[in-house]
Amino acid sequence: MIAPLARLPIARLVRTPRAWIVAGAWCALAVGMAVVMRSRGASHGADDVLIEAFGALVLPLLAYTLVGAALGARSMAGSTAAVAAFGASRARAAAATVGIAVAAPALGGALVAAAVALVAHGASDPPRTHDALVSAYAGALGGAAYGAWFSLGAGFGRRGGGRLAALLVDWVLGAGGGVMALLAPRAHVRNLLGGAPPMDLSERASAVALVVLAVVCALGAVARGRRDPTP
Amino acid sequence: MIVLEAVAARRRPLALASVSVEWGPGVHAVLGRREDGGALLLAIVAGAARPRSGRVTVLGGGPRDPAVRARVATVPLDPALPDALRVDETLALAAALRGEDAQDPAERLRVLGIEALAARAVRSLSLPEARAVALAEAVSSSRVRVLLVEEPLLAMDPRAAALVPERLRARGADGWTVVVLTASSHDAGAIADDHAVLRRGAITARATAIEALSGASPLGARVRVAAHDSNDARALVAALARAADVEAVALDGACVVARGPDALALARSVGRSIVDAGLDVAELRVDPVLEGETSSPGATT
Repeated sequence: MIAPLARLPIARLVRTPRAWIVAGAWCALAVGMAVVMRSRGASHGADDVLIEAFGALVLPLLAYTLVGAALGARSMAGSTAAVAAFGASRARAAAATVGIAVAAPALGGALVAAAVALVAHGASDPPRTHDALVSAYAGALGGAAYGAWFSLGAGFGRRGGGRLAALLVDWVLGAGGGVMALLAPRAHVRNLLGGAPPMDLSERASAVALVVLAVVCALGAVARGRRDPTP
Repeated sequence: MIVLEAVAARRRPLALASVSVEWGPGVHAVLGRREDGGALLLAIVAGAARPRSGRVTVLGGGPRDPAVRARVATVPLDPALPDALRVDETLALAAALRGEDAQDPAERLRVLGIEALAARAVRSLSLPEARAVALAEAVSSSRVRVLLVEEPLLAMDPRAAALVPERLRARGADGWTVVVLTASSHDAGAIADDHAVLRRGAITARATAIEALSGASPLGARVRVAAHDSNDARALVAALARAADVEAVALDGACVVARGPDALALARSVGRSIVDAGLDVAELRVDPVLEGETSSPGATT
């Protein structure tokens, strides 16, 4: 049952050229900055691009774009209305949609992070292969957390306008290093990529925090998605 | 197959107040507007809205039961079709979700004469085309047994509109329970076997013949008379101007519409006026006046 339910969000992702153009632009920005770092011969080129550009800007905006595409720029409840009309369970439809909305940024985040680590690798960075794998892991975890975060945001507002609010909240809360930063994916992604940790958390703790955020937000998004729209 | 017992519900701005109705196999019309609670009524039967109180049984189970939901199809005024898919993919997805064997999409669409839409992207469909696709999916399904249609002849693809009454009646004859919500007494009379009037969230009248509901409207009744030509129509207007029980008369070409508070008295007055004027009319029809309707276009005497 889940496979048919996933057809629609996958088709939305694959067949929305605008989303591909925007997502491609964010990826190109990250890789372009990596190329610039490499040409300058920066000793910590990979770290600098991953923390300052990828983690802070590209990953959240890439996830924002991909989640919007998977939901068809609708609210969570609105995105499942079409399959619910054919008798599908709203909860299962929402779970399938959230699954795609989490998987796509996770995959995109992993690929872009690995590409940045490979291209911008500097003399003082960790070994290239190891750095690419660790960066991919951080990008995947961060992408998944952002996917769930924005899916939950899309559960609010008639057309899912809460997604934009979620982006702003992440930017505001995640910029600092205090207690409130613990609630935002941005702070934990920064920590995983080698940046300043929130509340001096270890990288392992931030990884666990991202998993918890992803699970809680995904469950919240499914709960919002199973609600009935106004007839 | 559909039983509502004292169902009350509210979802702003719509509300239902203690609606009790039982629909078995056949085609049933709910005569009213969305604002009267008709859309909410259909949403409750489809399991898309919960009643505040009362009991709803559909196909022997609860309307939110997954096994029931797969056998209920709804065609609202603005149907939600999978936006990123093509029409043929939409039908395949619907079949998979309803748990039925895949059929040739063109064959399914042919039931409403819209097989040309099979390869179109859902995003490219106009509203009438999308409604026709949603209705074709429903009437060609091998699993659906309850079909809920909002305004079946309004905003409907013209290729499909001519076939809709016949297809809905055929499904009713096959043992399906088909409920149509419409504000048009003409459409209700053309499609349904029995009729219920829904006003401000309550069923105010039920009858098997639409004509029997003419006197049930608190807003009165309306008689449409189609004369053979405009001269006959003008003569009838002059006769009706002197008749009792006629509140207003409108003339539109060769068609005369008379309105009055009581259906039977109005029909008698119109009949007497036709005889007095020595006219031979082509058609005479009595309709209830629905809230928000005007008596007729054209000049009023």
